[in-house]
Amino acid sequence: MKNDYSPHSAIIKDIIVEAHDTNTYVLEFTDKKFQKDFSWCPGQFMMLSLFGIGESAISISKVGDNGSLYSTIRNVGNVTNSIFNLKKGDFIGIRGPYGLGWPVDKLRDKDVLIVAGGMGIAPFRGLINYIKDSRKNFRRLEILYGARTPEDMIFRYDFKDWRKIKNSNLDLTVDEISIGSRSSCKIGLVTSCFPSMKIHHRNAVALICGPEIMMRYAAKCLETIGFKDEQIYLSLERRMKCGIGKCGHCQVGLKYACKDGPVFNYAEIKQFIHPL
Amino acid sequence: MDAYTIEKKDMKILLKRFQEDYKVFGPIKPGLESKFDEIKSIEQLHLDYISTVLPPKKFFHPPKEAMFSYKIEKGRFTSKEIKQNEKILIIGIHPCDVYALLKLDKLFSGDFKDPYYQNRRKNCVIVALNCVKPSEYSFCSSMNTGPFLDKGYDILLTDIGTKYLIELGTKTGEKLIEGLNLKKATKDNYHEKKRRLETSKKKIKKSMDALKISRIAQKNLHHEVWFDLGECGGVAGSLPCLSCGSCTFVCPTCYCYDVYDTVDFSLKSGTRNRELDSCQLLEYGEVAHGGNFRKDRKDRIRHWMLCKFGVAAGGSNSSCVGCGRCIRVCPSKIDITAVAKAIGGG
Ligand SMILES: Cc1cc2nc3c(=O)[nH]c(=O)nc-3n(C[C@H](O)[C@H](O)[C@H](O)COP(=O)(O)OP(=O)(O)OC[C@H]3O[C@@H](n4cnc5c(N)ncnc54)[C@H](O)[C@@H]3O)c2cc1C
Repeated sequence: MKNDYSPHSAIIKDIIVEAHDTNTYVLEFTDKKFQKDFSWCPGQFMMLSLFGIGESAISISKVGDNGSLYSTIRNVGNVTNSIFNLKKGDFIGIRGPYGLGWPVDKLRDKDVLIVAGGMGIAPFRGLINYIKDSRKNFRRLEILYGARTPEDMIFRYDFKDWRKIKNSNLDLTVDEISIGSRSSCKIGLVTSCFPSMKIHHRNAVALICGPEIMMRYAAKCLETIGFKDEQIYLSLERRMKCGIGKCGHCQVGLKYACKDGPVFNYAEIKQFIHPL
Repeated sequence: MDAYTIEKKDMKILLKRFQEDYKVFGPIKPGLESKFDEIKSIEQLHLDYISTVLPPKKFFHPPKEAMFSYKIEKGRFTSKEIKQNEKILIIGIHPCDVYALLKLDKLFSGDFKDPYYQNRRKNCVIVALNCVKPSEYSFCSSMNTGPFLDKGYDILLTDIGTKYLIELGTKTGEKLIEGLNLKKATKDNYHEKKRRLETSKKKIKKSMDALKISRIAQKNLHHEVWFDLGECGGVAGSLPCLSCGSCTFVCPTCYCYDVYDTVDFSLKSGTRNRELDSCQLLEYGEVAHGGNFRKDRKDRIRHWMLCKFGVAAGGSNSSCVGCGRCIRVCPSKIDITAVAKAIGGG
């Protein structure tokens, strides 16, 4: 019997430093055929596995032309810390891809609003690239990305390309800017950019990913400017031990975040995430 | 399929036959409590039991199990699934516990399959036992999971006095009793089974409107019951929940597990393991930056009850079978049937 808990071996081809606590790992499967057959969609995640340590759910931020997987990881604890100790040429286990990802078909011919906080930009990277590559299928694109400081922002090398996307806007906000820093980021919450957005909420879809408190607040603010719950999608972060709907940890109401999510329609899960 | 009877005093013949091909487990009663354990001789087998502390779930989804052994050499890992191929037979499983297995069968299959659970299930023969002595905590009759069984068994026993009625559910069951020259069951035997079913049903004191509670529970997420249970007061004479997790540990349909790795002294090999986890424990709902999406006790007990009412992610695959174990072990005397009634699903 096939064992879905069994990780596939992959080699770390490259490590890109994103911020003081965040790296992007470029991974290639040892089994080339497996790599060739690997298909994914933006917003999906995988379980990265280190035997002796454990597993972590990590978004696929990009898939390279040769099929290499990009995973961008913030060092927060046990597993992520151990991944940070790995070097180019080391091996890691991968299971997945898991989850349903962003509702790309629901975004067709719509204004797309992307609201990301901190690491929450990781699952959007694939989507932004997808929209860029099939630009005519979507209308205006607004990307609002907030981080603690300008130095905490990741994918900074992508911003230039994102800014080149036709009929789009990228707004960056931070909590603080250190003295002497030449940052063009605004100070404030991502939500402070809502009033200046050039999207028509009647024909728009909002996608949010970030710390849960930020997502709840952003969703609330969107409601006050006319978004309906059904127009809002959140990618939830939950502790996951299996990624395949068996361990129970990521339950949200009647759903598993790993299998039925991690992206959920706000209307569907509103009552299960804490009220403000 | 044909049915037979066997005198109780001849049960050793049946046991001996089972032992020819299988390691046999069944209820034993070493002290005040009954539990499922290996049966080596007929004297140990205590079919006259009421309920066991832990459900037979432990044979299929054990409290702890090793999933993989792994080796790390020059930075590369290799892992090997730890297979469960032991052929076992469990005798004396009550209907509620069989129904629980039928639910877990669904939970552990689907798009993704759990090979550990499925292998264990595949390698096990179920000799169920209709329940003529429901416990004071049982409410299987309202959950349609007992006290008598109509599916999910290879062989089904019913205590009909000095004999057991033996009904067969599968080819495996049929094969097992082949050549034992058992007496064919008579109309009278069936009649006696029916009579005992009626008596057994009458002994069940607790009840719950399973359909109604599953319908209304989701609409009552902010019912005061949850506050009473979680923070102060209690429900129907209970104390508030202590979040000890006993209910989840004895529940035959609780499936949640945690995964952890162990490392040998060499630091080059070890095992990946899993163990049962409990949604009642604070750590269960932790996320990054000190967040916890079920921080309050009331949210945790509500989540568990909703799961047992069939309105959590497990759906009806993790819902209650009315065995009553949670009521029995709860140090706060929380009674799920009383909670259902308090919400209006009586
Ligand atoms: C669908 C999904 C996609 C994710 N994508 C990314 C990503 O692209 N990049 C990234 O850096 N992180 C991502 N995460 C979060 C990542 O899974 C956790 O940060 C990681 O598992 C922490 O593991 P650890 O062993 O290093 O930390 P631990 O030592 O286990 O814990 C450190 C802290 O993180 C919390 N935590 C543990 N596991 C999780 C979890 N699964 N979700 C949230 N908090 C957790 C703990 O409660 C603790 O507060 C994602 C999570 C999900 C559910």
